Amino acid sequence: MKKRSLIVSAVAAGCALGVALPRQAWAAVSDEDFNALKSMVQKLGDQVQKLEQVHEQDQQVHQQDQQKIQQLQQQVGETQQIATNAVQKAEAAAQLQPVHALPPGAGATHNFQLAGDAETVFGRIQGQHSAFAQADFAPIFLYRANDNILFEAGFDFLLSNNAPTAPGTAYGFDLSFATIDYLVNDYMTFVAGNMLLPLGTYSERSAGWLNKIPDNPLPRGLLPGTGLGAQLRGAVPIGDQGQMLTYSAYGVNGPSSVDGTGNSGSLDLGGNVGVLSGATSYPRQYGYGLTGTTFSTLGNLNSNPSGGGRLGWFIPWKPHYDLEVGVSGQSGQWNNLGEQWSAVVLDAALHVSPYVEIKGEYINTWVDTADLGGIRPNGWWVQAGYKLSGLNLDFPLINNVELVGRYDRSDDGLVPGNTKTERYTAGFVYYFSNTLLFEGDYEWLHSVGPASNIFPNNEMLFQVSYGF
Amino acid sequence: MNRLSSLKWRLRISGGLALVTAALLAATSACVSGADTKPDQDAKPGAKTEKKTAKKAKLSGAELYAVNCNRCHPERYATEWTAAQWKTLMLHMRVRANLPAKQAKAILKYLQEDAGN
Repeated sequence: MKKRSLIVSAVAAGCALGVALPRQAWAAVSDEDFNALKSMVQKLGDQVQKLEQVHEQDQQVHQQDQQKIQQLQQQVGETQQIATNAVQKAEAAAQLQPVHALPPGAGATHNFQLAGDAETVFGRIQGQHSAFAQADFAPIFLYRANDNILFEAGFDFLLSNNAPTAPGTAYGFDLSFATIDYLVNDYMTFVAGNMLLPLGTYSERSAGWLNKIPDNPLPRGLLPGTGLGAQLRGAVPIGDQGQMLTYSAYGVNGPSSVDGTGNSGSLDLGGNVGVLSGATSYPRQYGYGLTGTTFSTLGNLNSNPSGGGRLGWFIPWKPHYDLEVGVSGQSGQWNNLGEQWSAVVLDAALHVSPYVEIKGEYINTWVDTADLGGIRPNGWWVQAGYKLSGLNLDFPLINNVELVGRYDRSDDGLVPGNTKTERYTAGFVYYFSNTLLFEGDYEWLHSVGPASNIFPNNEMLFQVSYGF
Repeated sequence: MNRLSSLKWRLRISGGLALVTAALLAATSACVSGADTKPDQDAKPGAKTEKKTAKKAKLSGAELYAVNCNRCHPERYATEWTAAQWKTLMLHMRVRANLPAKQAKAILKYLQEDAGN
């Protein structure tokens, strides 16, 4: 702009000078000077023209900038409007929020997870031909709704051999447990549904790949494995070295009577959901758990729940060196005559180094019956294991072996005429990996009494287990 | 007669449970207070301080994992599951094994640090 003014001023000054000069001076300008001046004026004119073109271009750019500024201002206005609307909507939505706000923190709040185990058993019972006895698939479905709520359900798909009493195989489907767990606080969890009962510790730790022997201890048949009801459980730490007190208290429908009578032979330890259709065909010793999927009624024989609980004390003094002791019990009416079924279980487990484990339970039950009066089925078992890797031998195969032994005994308490059974078991576990196990054992069984025929003779069992 | 018998058993079981509970609590209290207050007459003063310091060292997540998990099942490797899956599994184990909240969280943190993808 200044340049242009200077040039215009120079031209104007030149013109004025030409007009103002006296005639003599005009007359004195030669053609050569005139041409030089003319040329200079033409050059100045060209420069002015170029500057005007540049100026026009600058003005166009300026206009485009103005348009962009207007567009941006318009967009800012729209954005402000959107933000204002969003704030209004958020304020309106906040008034409609549920009582429980969404949990803070990153990561998905929901997760679905599958765990469980699978087994195949090969057996040979004395006096019978050997055979693959059963195949079992026991998945556990876990659904985490948030940090405090978990739904878990365990199933048991079982294919077993009917021999020697019937041809073919039997297929079983069992809902082992199904619970909703709500973590009330750091020390208490509320559990509701079909629960593994904390009578001792065996029920909650008896998955095929956890138990180091393919079958269950004899006296576990005197107890219900599951119960339909609700439970409060938790732990209180003692110090910061891992020691803790654990507790559980529950109320369940409890054992029932298969036919409504109070006779000793009608006790149904799996009778949590009413009278079970056709369940009289199941011997009492095998009557725990849900033995079928068809129920004649969902009503209970009485309105009194069966209550129970467990108190445990876990004392570790360093990793792999610990002692756990517990006492548990359950009591409740089991028929419609007001008669009672009760149980007390003492349990203990000891680990001395990563290689040695000893555990066991003492089980005592009391059953009021209409035909035999009060009877006292009872039993106990103890099991020990030693991992040969503790010997520090330079044999890789040997280092994967754990030797196990068990002694168990039970008394059905049907006095007079009770049946007493005891069994010695010796076996091994070979660890292909931490989850793939091969177990084998031989069991020497001796039973005396009227019901001794329901127990198998000596037998040899092999089992492949996989935990996932 | 039956009701009397039932009542008798109920009382027996309730009494038994109460006694055992009281014994456990008493033993626990004695153990906890004993661990803190029992004088170690044979030990030297320096050793005593070291011992006390060692006792107060809080167990790490890895140590709590070794203490709790292996007593029921073979140990599982951290890489077997993702961090989100460990969170669900630890929730399951916290309920099943009655693990205290702080211990369960420390074990979860330890497992998630080396969790698989």
